[in-house]
Amino acid sequence: MDSLKRVLRTPLGVGALSMLGLVFLLAIFAPLLWGEAASETDTAHLLAPPSAEHWVGTDSLGRDLWLRTLVATRLTVLLALGATALGVLLGILLGSAPALLGRRIGRFVTAAVNILVAFPGLLLCLFFAVIFGVGEVGAVFAIGLAGAPTFARLCHTLVAGVQERDFVTASRIAGRSRAYVLFKHILPNIAEPLVVQATIGAGSCLLTFSGLSFLGLGVQSPAFDWGRLMNEGLNRIYLNPLAALAPGLLVITAGLAFNLTGEAIARAFNVETSGSWVTATAAARTAARKVPAAFSAANTVPREVLRVTDLQVGFPGSNPVRGVSFDLRPGEALGIVGESGAGKSLTGLAIAQLIEPPGQVDGEITFLGMPLRPDGGEDQRKLLGTSMALIFQDPMSSFNPARRIGEQLAEISRVHQGMNRRAAWERAVDRLRAVRISDPQRRAGQHPFEFSGGMRQRAMIGMGLMAAPKLLIADEPTTSLDVTVQQQVLDLIDSVREEEQVALILISHDLTLVAERCERILVMYAGRVVEDIPASALAVAQHPYTRLLLAAVPTLATDLDSPLAVIPGSQPDPSTQFSGCAFAPRCPLADDICRTREPLLRNAIPPIDDTRKKPGLGITLKTSRMRLELNLGGKPGSPVHTGQVACWHKGEPLPAPTLIDDDLPDETLAGVGR
Amino acid sequence: MSTLRFENITVRFGSVTAVNDVTLEVPNGAVVGLVGESGSGKTTLARAAVGLAPMQVGRVLLDGVPVSRHGPARQLQMVFQDPYSSLDPRMRIGDTIAEALPEVARAEREGQVNRLLELVHLNPARAKDYPARLSGGQRQRVAIARALAARPAVLVADEITSALDVSIQGSILNLVRTLQRELGLTMLFISHNLAVLRYVAQRVAVMKDGGIVEEGPTAQVLGTPRDPYTKELLAAIPGR
Ligand SMILES: Nc1ncnc2c1ncn2[C@@H]1O[C@H](COP(=O)(O)OP(=O)(O)OP(=O)(O)O)[C@@H](O)[C@H]1O
Ligand code: SF4
Ligand SMILES: [Mg+2]
Repeated sequence: MDSLKRVLRTPLGVGALSMLGLVFLLAIFAPLLWGEAASETDTAHLLAPPSAEHWVGTDSLGRDLWLRTLVATRLTVLLALGATALGVLLGILLGSAPALLGRRIGRFVTAAVNILVAFPGLLLCLFFAVIFGVGEVGAVFAIGLAGAPTFARLCHTLVAGVQERDFVTASRIAGRSRAYVLFKHILPNIAEPLVVQATIGAGSCLLTFSGLSFLGLGVQSPAFDWGRLMNEGLNRIYLNPLAALAPGLLVITAGLAFNLTGEAIARAFNVETSGSWVTATAAARTAARKVPAAFSAANTVPREVLRVTDLQVGFPGSNPVRGVSFDLRPGEALGIVGESGAGKSLTGLAIAQLIEPPGQVDGEITFLGMPLRPDGGEDQRKLLGTSMALIFQDPMSSFNPARRIGEQLAEISRVHQGMNRRAAWERAVDRLRAVRISDPQRRAGQHPFEFSGGMRQRAMIGMGLMAAPKLLIADEPTTSLDVTVQQQVLDLIDSVREEEQVALILISHDLTLVAERCERILVMYAGRVVEDIPASALAVAQHPYTRLLLAAVPTLATDLDSPLAVIPGSQPDPSTQFSGCAFAPRCPLADDICRTREPLLRNAIPPIDDTRKKPGLGITLKTSRMRLELNLGGKPGSPVHTGQVACWHKGEPLPAPTLIDDDLPDETLAGVGR
Repeated sequence: MSTLRFENITVRFGSVTAVNDVTLEVPNGAVVGLVGESGSGKTTLARAAVGLAPMQVGRVLLDGVPVSRHGPARQLQMVFQDPYSSLDPRMRIGDTIAEALPEVARAEREGQVNRLLELVHLNPARAKDYPARLSGGQRQRVAIARALAARPAVLVADEITSALDVSIQGSILNLVRTLQRELGLTMLFISHNLAVLRYVAQRVAVMKDGGIVEEGPTAQVLGTPRDPYTKELLAAIPGR
């Protein structure tokens, strides 16, 4: 139902579906309404030309050709659907054979299918028509069988794509049969593209069937379909052209209806499966040529690349981001950390203007001096498309699986920078080389599934570099990658940052990783920034949450006899209303103030030297152009916290790290292991 | 009683030898850590154990009995690194977990699923959700719950904490230790993080270029490494 609504949202969808609906209405009602009239012979008007009484004229028995054309809709559509069903069914069977029967037999089936695909469809069709004999049934089989190989191949490719995902493997390891996996996991995940192909296939079947009938190989009289009517009309094409043209027009209309419907579903389905991000990214990239002059001219380059003030993101009934503010200087690397659901990704998406309704964004975002608004116009889209690049966690869903990597990269330059096909392709190859993909020329011609996870992620970064971005937002860019590939990808991002002076927002749950790569870190908790800290000062973090996070990671010095520190409880849901500090239920320092009044971000307190010689003093001088950080009197080399903290008890010593043993009750364990 | 033993395993993909004549034992009730650089064959070895990688030579034994080379064996369960690929987007997470449960009565199923969800710190009410509604960290917890649901004799964990929140990493590592201590769960634990291995594993094996260059009790391997590559790994740890 939901997908139907999506299809209907576009003009194409509405047009295609109403056309198809009309065809089906005709197929159902025409024989009921005019079935008899269409077979009534009128000896007074044999072979009559078109007239007010007989719009398209009559045939050699004086039957009304217009009515016959309308009545023929049912048989035509039924036969086309029959042939499609046969082809689809066979195609699915053959295409999923490797998944069902295992690799060896599967390979055999696949090879056979590949050979069959190489035969021209019409040839197969004629071949089968000869075998099955002339007539409806023969033609259904002929067309169905002829369509099967193509469908099988598509099905096979789709199945193979899903099959290599871990959830399929996991199900197999859990002892599920191949058939179970096929029906429960694989087919549901490829349903949409199959439906699209089947719909478009029905259109071609209709055309082919009409062709066969027209050649006299399909429907035989006294039955009649559009092809048959065209065949009969052909004899007198010079005397009464309408007799052949009317069914011909309907063939084209119905064929188009199927095709366009398939097309419309395909578009709606893209939105649905590859997630709104991808389309939104594409939309964000729907920007042309270059950054508006005002923003690229050197003399007006703003001090900061990005300024975010009191950013809020809300959904009906929840507030996942509740006031985030920060600046970003050119070339600066900022990390955003926090546990799952803290609002890190939403912050990134909001900056890129990718929050979709019903989500709502409040607050100010200024990018390269331009205030961004959700309803921003052409200029904003240009700016975002060329100057901001995004890298997401899941590179597979960010690429269209059906298109070559190179094309997908080139498209950005073609559409948004106005390059021609050739130049754009060359730029794509060049960018793939820039992200250290070896043999970029060949790789550009490959499909996403032919890339390894790390390569896909690099290609995605390459995609971000098609234009000349000033800001790179990377949301967990390496979480789904093998750890050492992670290092390579992060190194790549680093070098890109240096070479092209790009500012970076690195979103990650991994505090250690972020600390290694970024100069400054925002620690988020429940939709707020709780600590804004230079990476070098992590050791002297002042927010209890940051400190507990650091204590939860084992080091080579961790005591092996006690459990690791765990932060008890969990982050509040974004639908919760707070009266005080969101961390209070989990905080060892929480008191009544914490529970009633929410702490705001304030400057961190200067560190006190523990030998009490002289207090260290951290001073931050902010001028319009730069930020000067001084450390007066502190121990030389000791890290100084020049950031901000939101806590009533910032910097106070935590009670000797309470190590909560999460030993579980026996009955919980009884269900696990043997 | 379940000792997992890899015997002279060699895995080739075309002309590439991913795992080269590896012999490794995961003693009953122990956690053995496996560390090594990308492409050194860690994941391939793990996949060979659960029947997912084609072994050209060698065999995998569970308590001395060869594990079927054709298709996966239920007593060996695996947890994957990527929580985005390891859950079916079209299946409710409760069903995903239930799928791995050994045959149990329907009535019992819900209780078991709830217990497993609690075990990985998820609200049992989440059982009705689809993966799209979970954050990355929450998905990985579901994946762990699913592996535990099958009541494995040996659990193979491939970088299971590297995609997890720091705040839950600790509790998962604690959980691994608890399971091992109380139930004697046998585990092959792959991680790039030596500090993590030091914490959970009794023995550590270091892999490089498809072979194991050093294996021994954790304290010994980390304290007095013999192989130059192990020394290199130790030196690369930040803050040292
Ligand atoms: N489209 C949406 N509708 C309603 N709530 C949403 C939506 N998208 C995200 N949320 C909620 O907003 C909160 C913050 O989500 P966000 O994705 O920003 O978290 P995150 O910090 O990136 O977490 P992770 O580390 O797991 O990626 C979560 O509780 C999430 O469930
Ligand atoms: S304000 Fe209170 S509850 Fe919140 S983090 Fe600080 S000490 Fe803990
Ligand atoms: Mg996120």
